[in-house]
Amino acid sequence: MSDPTSYVGSDSSIDRPDVPALFEGARFFAPAVGTSNGTPLSTWLTELLDHNGPVPLWRVETLPPETPCVATCVIGSGSALADLPPTGDEFELAVRQLERVHGHRFEAVYPLAAATVSALAPVAVASQLGVPLLDADGMGSTFALIHHTAMHLNGVPPTPLVVLGPTGESVTIDVLVAPRADRLLRAVVDTLGGWAALAAYPTTAGVLRHAALRGTVSRLLNVGRVLLQRSDPETLIARLSAITGSRRIGRARIAELEHLSRPTDGAVPAHPTSIVANEIGGQSRQFRIELRSEIVAVFADGVLTAGAPDLTTLVDVSRSELVALDSIQIGDVVDILATHADAMWYSPEGMQMVGLSSHNIPLAHPQQLG
Amino acid sequence: MMTVHETHRSRVGVVLGPGWSHTVVVRGRTIEAEHPAEDSDAEPDRVLASVGALTDDPASVTVDVAPLLLDAVRRRRNVSPVAVIRITPRPARDPTFARSPAALVEQLVAARYFVPGGHDLLGNELRQLDRQALARVCTQLAASTVRDVAVVSPGSQACPAHERDVADAIQAAVPGARIAVASDYGGQGLAGREATVILDGALGAHLDELLDRCERSLARGSGRSTLDVARSDGGCSTAYHVRSMPVLALAATEALELSGAAHLAGEPNCRVLLEEPAKTLSGEVRHGIPQVQSAIYSALETDLVIPVVTLVPGASVSAGTERVSDQPVVTSRRNRLTLAGVGAAVSRPSAWLDEVATISSADELDNVRQETIERATGIVMANGAAPGSAYLVDVSAVALPYSSSGTIRIRVRVTGEPDPSLVAAKDHP
Repeated sequence: MSDPTSYVGSDSSIDRPDVPALFEGARFFAPAVGTSNGTPLSTWLTELLDHNGPVPLWRVETLPPETPCVATCVIGSGSALADLPPTGDEFELAVRQLERVHGHRFEAVYPLAAATVSALAPVAVASQLGVPLLDADGMGSTFALIHHTAMHLNGVPPTPLVVLGPTGESVTIDVLVAPRADRLLRAVVDTLGGWAALAAYPTTAGVLRHAALRGTVSRLLNVGRVLLQRSDPETLIARLSAITGSRRIGRARIAELEHLSRPTDGAVPAHPTSIVANEIGGQSRQFRIELRSEIVAVFADGVLTAGAPDLTTLVDVSRSELVALDSIQIGDVVDILATHADAMWYSPEGMQMVGLSSHNIPLAHPQQLG
Repeated sequence: MMTVHETHRSRVGVVLGPGWSHTVVVRGRTIEAEHPAEDSDAEPDRVLASVGALTDDPASVTVDVAPLLLDAVRRRRNVSPVAVIRITPRPARDPTFARSPAALVEQLVAARYFVPGGHDLLGNELRQLDRQALARVCTQLAASTVRDVAVVSPGSQACPAHERDVADAIQAAVPGARIAVASDYGGQGLAGREATVILDGALGAHLDELLDRCERSLARGSGRSTLDVARSDGGCSTAYHVRSMPVLALAATEALELSGAAHLAGEPNCRVLLEEPAKTLSGEVRHGIPQVQSAIYSALETDLVIPVVTLVPGASVSAGTERVSDQPVVTSRRNRLTLAGVGAAVSRPSAWLDEVATISSADELDNVRQETIERATGIVMANGAAPGSAYLVDVSAVALPYSSSGTIRIRVRVTGEPDPSLVAAKDHP
């Protein structure tokens, strides 16, 4: 793929020119970190693709069902990763270590979450290992905990898993019950430097045919290409809407940031924060945007208009680009966009895991209200 | 108290580029004089010496040296070779991670050294500083001819101990070394933090010499000895302060263009559209100063941890802006150097801090916020603000996603009015 702004339905490989679109799309599906936080990984990936050639991007159904596959991602904080970048061997070593535990050579890699810097790492490790990347992932965006995946909902265990940090230290985790894995991981990741390479969910392509969300890497690339076109905000939102089905809730100027604005149990990273924003034009509503590591709910004049598992994104109107949640400033004018997540997340099991109640917001989702 | 909008005295802004200069005299919102120069007439000595011929007794003279510094970096002229010492738990295994992602920055690096050590973002030690390795690096540095050293370590914003230990050891082993440490700048991201101190090291000697010439010529031509230097955030600092952090003078021009356009239009809060025949660029001004962010500096294609203006290109974006903004839109077709000169002339002492902190309660957040504001206010005063004039422009504290609960990024921006008594006291002892 030589033209980073061209459109395709489904990609067959990821090459050097695709990296900017990959990262922009990754920021749409999890706007947690800013552009500069992705610089180390995107530069690295660009050079890997330059050196090793394109990484094949395969639909999961095209692989023999018995093909061993492994999920990878960056676990922890993108800011920590930017401040202490990888040395270059973390992801490859994590996969190799899991291969020794699992007793199989993995023949394909898939993103645990095709979003934020975690969309780049699987492509890099696929390039290092010389294996294809699957056009599928476990979340379709980013949820807070490691078992918040389509695989878990379909009975695939996250462990055995390996985390390997920038210090070169690693930990192998095996649990009896999936939610225990994240609790064990959190303390380990902090000790490893705030982030680590994760290799988890060892399974087969046959299982992933029904247990993963398919086509999510291609979708992400297409969204990234739209974002790179730097069109005016109206055109940008219309194009995003055409690809993702997103809708604009409103345009508003950020007036206030509040911290520790809701009860926190400490089990989910990042404390609750709220943004208060005043609508420009329209109905002059006051928006209250509730954040954790992602945006988890949007209220307009007190009425819930979007909430987890919806994907909510802010677009900086003056720059016509995505707003990183770690770079929000009072006074910014933003468009608030809401996008439906995969239908799986609106099931009772999905809602229980990643819905509003998981963020201590005891309200019914607008979709449940009809 | 005098303000830039109230003063009856003129202010001078000078933009210095390679082979050209642009001087603007501003009184209130009026441009009283404008003097472009080229070739030998644009030499900093001549330009500053001729300020006295344009206006009597200006309240301030502020120089924007960013175009000269940018040219020096791009052409590798008048830049010093820099030795980089990176303190991390492990050395890079892949060569990509061993160098700056920005080619224009990496070309300034004469040698790279690795010392085991480093902290995480919250200041927890990840590996003890390897003093034997440090001693070997000091020996190699002392034997080399490189004397500008950039030191960077992850987590040094929260715990600068390793960077300081390394700097102390180098100073002892290489007495003439000029050392820039990343912890002086705060900010996030090793690539941006390292690029910032590499540029500091590369530009330090050139900037020293340049400001010496400017100050001497200004004194000769107008009898005044104080010179302010425009910063990347659209504010200014004393020449003394900028000498210790040269990179602050880089990337000032775009910020000054925005604040200059807003000042002439009398709109302290507005969107500015800079229209040229071939393109339109836009940016935002709040409280009379340009909106900035710690971001990629496009002219050098590098992350930096100093605040910079990102002008948005494209007529389509700016056309859309007219429909969407709730603030006035200022469209300027003036020469952008005129706007930059005006922006320099009316610039005010400023400070910006961008740090990571941890909180466990709302009270603790208030304390962190207050302490950061007080430090930024102290910096503004040191940059030449009048007592009592400092005011908070912006404070934003956001939770760091996917970090431990209570980890926040706090950014504070403070500005103040220039202190006329400071100028008078220095110029007329």
